[in-house]
Amino acid sequence: MNKRWQAVLGLGLLLFIATPSVRYAMEKSMWCHMLVQFPLWMGAAALLAGGMPARICKVIARWNMYGISGLFVTGVTLAVLMIPRVLDQALLHPEMELAKLTALVLAGMALRLSWRPAGLILQFFFLGNMLPMMGVVGWLYTESPLRLCNAYLLDDQIQLGNWLIGLAAVISIVWLSWITWLITYQEIRQTSHR
Amino acid sequence: MLHTIIASILIVLLGWGTASWLTYDFQVWTDEGARRLEVALQPVNAPPVLIEGPDLAVTELSALLQQKNKVTIVDFFYTRCQTVCLSLGSIFQQMQAALLNDESNDEHTGNIRLLSISFDREHDDLPALKTYADNLSARPELWRFARVLQAEQEQVLLQQLGVVVIPDGRGDYEHNAALLVFDGAGRIVRIFDIEEYQLALDYARYLARKQIQEASL
Repeated sequence: MNKRWQAVLGLGLLLFIATPSVRYAMEKSMWCHMLVQFPLWMGAAALLAGGMPARICKVIARWNMYGISGLFVTGVTLAVLMIPRVLDQALLHPEMELAKLTALVLAGMALRLSWRPAGLILQFFFLGNMLPMMGVVGWLYTESPLRLCNAYLLDDQIQLGNWLIGLAAVISIVWLSWITWLITYQEIRQTSHR
Repeated sequence: MLHTIIASILIVLLGWGTASWLTYDFQVWTDEGARRLEVALQPVNAPPVLIEGPDLAVTELSALLQQKNKVTIVDFFYTRCQTVCLSLGSIFQQMQAALLNDESNDEHTGNIRLLSISFDREHDDLPALKTYADNLSARPELWRFARVLQAEQEQVLLQQLGVVVIPDGRGDYEHNAALLVFDGAGRIVRIFDIEEYQLALDYARYLARKQIQEASL
């Protein structure tokens, strides 16, 4: 897709999911809050980052060799946002909601700008940290006898936990299959060139 | 590469700082934990909302709690509740029994009172509260039941005390049930888990004794 169109689409999506009614609808349940709202905001921001002027990209790249800083932004943001208190606080205080959404936008943009420069090894390292974290957090959510968020039901929390574990598994499988395909494809190409 | 290293270190430090701020130096992970910690560090005044009950004329909650040397353990419940309020009820019964036992032995602990406040104004009118109290054989001089008079004031009360009530979609409510300990100045000083009722009782006894000692100084 054309880069400019990506940015327009990203901006449009951001404006749409920022409207109060859409936000409330997505924050009505705990699993929706974390597994629909978070990825949507990050995804929209990633599209937006696609249309970033080359000049700015160059400046960022100087501070973001091999996408290391960017992956740190995404990783640290997601780790902080998985603290259960964040969800409650975001519902109670508008400034916390704003901070949460801003962090999601930054994380989405950083991921977009850093994923390709990172290359396979750093990608593997990133996912190797993030996915187990997601799995462990998910396991904690399913196993906790206490409600971790005052604003959400226990059933909802268990559902979120299961989804987190499932999602971590799916992402790792998809990534590994992609890597396998990539490597075999390269080998085939190399042997056919010989 | 130096730029990247500096940026990465800054990002990690920023994240660490945020997480540490959110969790009070990694002590609490939930908002409920933070609420309990905040109350223990900085007592919160009970708001002056009007309450009434079967054995209670219309009065301000703050005025009811602000009694010299008294300590009040408060819980929030609703009478139709089939789950956590049932255990709250039996915990309060046990605390009442312990307090009755205390009164004959120790004059200081005679200053502890129990108060159950309903947050379901629509169903819990005075007769409903009366029936509920009688079923639990509550002694009005020790353990009283109340409801908030006005809906807006109820919201204020729940919000100030950090009680979050959510409908569970089956006609019931889920809420962060806890034991709230108020001192004689009408301030909430500690929040205990309902399983920690023995601790809550011991803390109330300690507070009652301390208040009397401080008053006599």
